[in-house]
Amino acid sequence: MSDKINKRKISSIIKHNASGWALLIPSLILFVMIVWRPILIGITYSTFRLQGFTPVEFVGLKNFSDVLTDTNFIQTLKNTVAYVFWSLVIGFPLPFICAVMLNELVHMQGYFKVTTYLPVIIPSIATCLIWRLVYMDGEGGLLNMMLYYLGISPMGWLSNKNMVIPLIIVAMSWNTFGSTLIMYFASLQGINQELYEAARLDGAGFFNRIRFVLLPHMKGMLLLMLIRQIIGVFNVTEQPLTMTGGGPNNASMSLGLTNYFYAFKYGQYDKSLALGVITFLMLLVLTFIYFGLDKRIEE
Amino acid sequence: MVEKSVKEKRISRFSDKTSGLLNFSDMKKIRFKFLYAAMFLIMFIISLVCLVPTVWVGLSGFKTVSEMYAVPPTLLPKSFDFGKIIEVWKKVSVARYFGNSVMLIIGCLATDIIINGLTGYVLSRLKPMGSKIMETAVFWSMLLPGISMVPLYMTFVDVPLIHVNLIGSYAPIWFMAGANAFNVLLFRNFFNSISMSYLEAARLDGCTDIGFFGRIILPLSKPIIMVVAIFSITGTWGNFMWPYLILGNTAKEPIAVMLYKLSTSKNIQDNEYMLIMMISIIPMIIVYAFFSKHIIGGLTVGGVKG
Repeated sequence: MSDKINKRKISSIIKHNASGWALLIPSLILFVMIVWRPILIGITYSTFRLQGFTPVEFVGLKNFSDVLTDTNFIQTLKNTVAYVFWSLVIGFPLPFICAVMLNELVHMQGYFKVTTYLPVIIPSIATCLIWRLVYMDGEGGLLNMMLYYLGISPMGWLSNKNMVIPLIIVAMSWNTFGSTLIMYFASLQGINQELYEAARLDGAGFFNRIRFVLLPHMKGMLLLMLIRQIIGVFNVTEQPLTMTGGGPNNASMSLGLTNYFYAFKYGQYDKSLALGVITFLMLLVLTFIYFGLDKRIEE
Repeated sequence: MVEKSVKEKRISRFSDKTSGLLNFSDMKKIRFKFLYAAMFLIMFIISLVCLVPTVWVGLSGFKTVSEMYAVPPTLLPKSFDFGKIIEVWKKVSVARYFGNSVMLIIGCLATDIIINGLTGYVLSRLKPMGSKIMETAVFWSMLLPGISMVPLYMTFVDVPLIHVNLIGSYAPIWFMAGANAFNVLLFRNFFNSISMSYLEAARLDGCTDIGFFGRIILPLSKPIIMVVAIFSITGTWGNFMWPYLILGNTAKEPIAVMLYKLSTSKNIQDNEYMLIMMISIIPMIIVYAFFSKHIIGGLTVGGVKG
């Protein structure tokens, strides 16, 4: 009798597991094909000389030394770090601060929500091209047009090698600002109001309420967004490609764009893979740091 | 619940303000009134920065070339000739690119919602043995950068096992939408928030796993499906890099690829180009106008973290 029940239980467990995994199959296939296998292939093939897409000869670390000794590598790495730096200065705090402010406003909140989200629905390629027109040299560009009314003669924007990276970052941040803001905003709405009341009764002022109630609630999310942003910006490719093509004089060249050029302009797939592995390893360190910090926050 | 929280936000007097850092009693103090005014002003400036570039491009599209580069520069065009829109629409055959983008969107919507949704459901509810490994792997892939575009491109040139070349077809882009770690986690967290008692009740009534998904989970998941759908539609419409690599120079180029190629083309003038840009943005504005109220609600219930 009990044997029979046991058997039924086991068969139901097997059935449950089987149907669960059956539903996971499409996803498993796609993740393997699109995310996980390419990483493994990339790492393996980066140690080969490739002819087209076929590995023909094991060359060890030759591709890596080719990439690292390229005369432009150090400059490109510096540029990429500059992209990340500027995106942290311009793009990271602003959506958070704005979400906190938006959460306080009772007047025209709906209007602000709609207008700040508007840039998000503009395709990133269109954003780049719109901002390229905003930064356009001569009187036709929006910025120079504004300068004209301030009585300042027109300047070159994207053609200025010191300004080109922050300017590209402004365009990128403009495009993603609204979506990050709305996520922070949604999370802010989840703060238990009683915590604020308790803090108020304890005499906590505006900044102490931020420090003791708001920030602890948002810490995990801020960290996740920070890491995602660093990883995202470290791979920046599309924006310099469409806005400047890496110019002027390589001043906006990023590792991602170099990688793209290796692969799809010069056909040097092996070098592209080696550079990909190098960036991958750098960012992997960051991912580990994230998991370490995240564990500490959860505790 | 979502509807209610949206309605609750519609307040416009300080005396009703019970949420947030400052409540109605704080708002009686003069220094908090200043702080509030400062916050309002900053938000107002930011909202202008969000609007002005797009509006400016839209207005400039109607200018003539000589107006665009006139000194002193003008903000408004001398006349709004809507015939110009039809002119450029025909000149660049926008309809074809629109059609291609719609094809991309339909496929991506299907894979994104069905495959990622099912995965989120299994990871959240069914939890078959070993699914924890899958969950961790999915979370990692959200944070892992890919190794250049080459290995993935190679995959599509010669798909493993079946050895088909998918370059020049929509399928790669559709597949990529079906392996979206962020959306899997969004779905998983949403399903986590659905009360377990539904599942118990359905089990007692002899409902199968798949039946439970179709009859109970799906109707409850409308808000999260809406959010993912909006992300998917706007994301696919603007997706440039991969469609450019895979569909570039074929008859299947979507609108984003067309925008890039026109930006380097000599056959089009700046003002026509600005009009094209506006034409390509407008469908997304319409989508947003219809669905905007779902975005916040869906994110509140399904936030990935926090």
